[in-house]
Amino acid sequence: MLMTTPIRFLLSGLTVLVALNAPVAAQPTGLVVSVAASVYDALEEISGLYRATTGVTVSLNPGGSNTLARQIVEGAKAGLFISADARQMDVVEKAGRVVAGTRTRLLTNELALVVPSDAKALTIERLLRGEVNRLALGEPGSVPAGVYARAWLEHEGAWSRLESKVIPFPTVTAVLTAVESGRVDAGIVYRTDAMRSKSVRTIGHISSTQHRYLDISYPAAVIAGPSEAEARRFLQFLMGTAARAVFDRRGFGKP
Amino acid sequence: MIEIAIDITLRQDAFTLTVRDTASVEVLGLFGPSGSGKTSLLEAIAGIRTPDSGEIRIGGRTLFSSAQRSNLPARERRIGYVPQDSLLFPNLDVKGNITYGAQGADLDALVEILDLSALLGRRVATLSGGEKQRVALARALMTRPSILLLDEPLAGVDRERRDLILPYILRIRRELHVPLIYVTHDRSELDTIADRVLLLDRGVSSVA
Amino acid sequence: MSAETWAIARFTVLMASIATSLVLPPAIAIGWLLARKDFPGKTLLETIVSLPLVLPPVASGLLLLWFFGRRSPVGRALDAVGIEIIFTWKAVVIAMVVISFPLVARSVRAGIEQVDRRFEDIAATLGASPFRILRTITLPLASRGIAAGAVLGFSRALGEFGATIMIAGAIPGRTRTLAVGIYTLVETGREEAAWSLLLISALLAFGAIYVSNRLVGQRGGL
Repeated sequence: MLMTTPIRFLLSGLTVLVALNAPVAAQPTGLVVSVAASVYDALEEISGLYRATTGVTVSLNPGGSNTLARQIVEGAKAGLFISADARQMDVVEKAGRVVAGTRTRLLTNELALVVPSDAKALTIERLLRGEVNRLALGEPGSVPAGVYARAWLEHEGAWSRLESKVIPFPTVTAVLTAVESGRVDAGIVYRTDAMRSKSVRTIGHISSTQHRYLDISYPAAVIAGPSEAEARRFLQFLMGTAARAVFDRRGFGKP
Repeated sequence: MIEIAIDITLRQDAFTLTVRDTASVEVLGLFGPSGSGKTSLLEAIAGIRTPDSGEIRIGGRTLFSSAQRSNLPARERRIGYVPQDSLLFPNLDVKGNITYGAQGADLDALVEILDLSALLGRRVATLSGGEKQRVALARALMTRPSILLLDEPLAGVDRERRDLILPYILRIRRELHVPLIYVTHDRSELDTIADRVLLLDRGVSSVA
Repeated sequence: MSAETWAIARFTVLMASIATSLVLPPAIAIGWLLARKDFPGKTLLETIVSLPLVLPPVASGLLLLWFFGRRSPVGRALDAVGIEIIFTWKAVVIAMVVISFPLVARSVRAGIEQVDRRFEDIAATLGASPFRILRTITLPLASRGIAAGAVLGFSRALGEFGATIMIAGAIPGRTRTLAVGIYTLVETGREEAAWSLLLISALLAFGAIYVSNRLVGQRGGL
């Protein structure tokens, strides 16, 4: 009597769905690498090379560095962590999750000042003088690119001038989109992000070499856990020539 | 004949129902204007509602007693209840409704007495008011109740057809010997059927 | 539509189906309890049940991350017996279960509240036990509402993102659902790939709405 038409319909629907898809539940196991979103593309290419040379498949977990760090602190079984932000790696280290001696500077990046491809001329000097209406940044309190951008502007004494013109965005992609669509006059993203986009123009770079107080680097570290040996091997590969070529081509700098 | 002893108070929104009566009857008529508490009384007897205090004894069994702190749950009272709207279960067909509480009563006999053979496979929504009442009667009788409570059995039926229902009730009384408590606001219905009539006026009972 | 897109879609549908199957029995029990019973602490129960609905999913995700993580007694116990939750498909199901449960429980409650209690009273006078009444009268009469609630929960599970990404991550082939996939692909600069996932999500949403309307608009039977 409980098997009324709607209930029967529902149960058969669910059964069909489960039956049709059951094989999908077979899951790969092995090394999981938590990787900051801005390096995900490069890591995908490199892990493909890794599989070609060693036969080992590495699973990548992309995300925001703070989320990735939080997951690792709570015990998520990632074997390797590549963060876009030294602060997040510090968090993970403080929680005792990093295998001692494995933390390394894997990559560096630069900031890029971008404008819509059809925009009128803008230069870094004019930006620092405040000659923009709207400047898109990643959230200056939390998004790494935004944090660095603010640090640079503050150091140049331009922050107070520009603060009211800053439009913060939760992600770098949102910043790029805002610039691409012309809704803002300019944006500051990573050089590697700017290289991805076809409809923005880069009018200048801000790098750690010129501005030593900026450390735009990507720390990587092996995380304590069952995949430690595999993680070490993969980290070695990441520091090797094949991987370096991929990183270079995509605009990342040497450590 | 069955002994009916009721002595209860039951607080309602508008008034307090106070019923006091003891009688041995075959058919007890309960008469009063609408809103006088007749349905509440039936619900109290059936076990669907709990009086605030007092005692209900039917056929020597104590169904409720605040003094003894006893309150027999509805499913153990062996009381058939035919509510005003018949309240047939919409998810069951006619036969499913009738046999829901079956306790070994003769289904064929009931079907014959109440002329239900043509209705057995029908869905409840397709029945007329009078047909629903007859099905509800059969459903209650299948449990072989010690007493049958009828709440305004002719209310859902139009005037011309009333005479078609009353004979069925009389047949039940005649052939199955089930005692009845028959509730109505129409005094004339009770003339043909009731041994004793209780008048309920704004919650207070008196013998009519 | 690439093979990878289909795989993600099928994975998401499978997870949502499992989650909905797991949610239904407790949601029916709790929904019935809230609809039909009064008891001390009822308001507290209502609040707890509604929590995932009121909290932002990311907050629920954080709570789940802590709950199954190495710093909580439950997480440690699971670790001790070798059961992995975080970063596995189980985390996907758990996130979907937690997020969709309040929706299903509320729908069940509403569906049962709509059932005339007098039917249940009559059934009692006919000798039925409370469990029999539930099984043969209450739930069948509420089944349309329950089924609609299940579809609602399923749809919500399909689109679940905030809690999922927190405890399951975005690992392709392992925990990447449609919603997580769309977000991740956009975030890593691959919007074109995200479009096909979006298209499938839209198709599934239409499908769910269609089924839901069929259930709610159904005549006869009951």
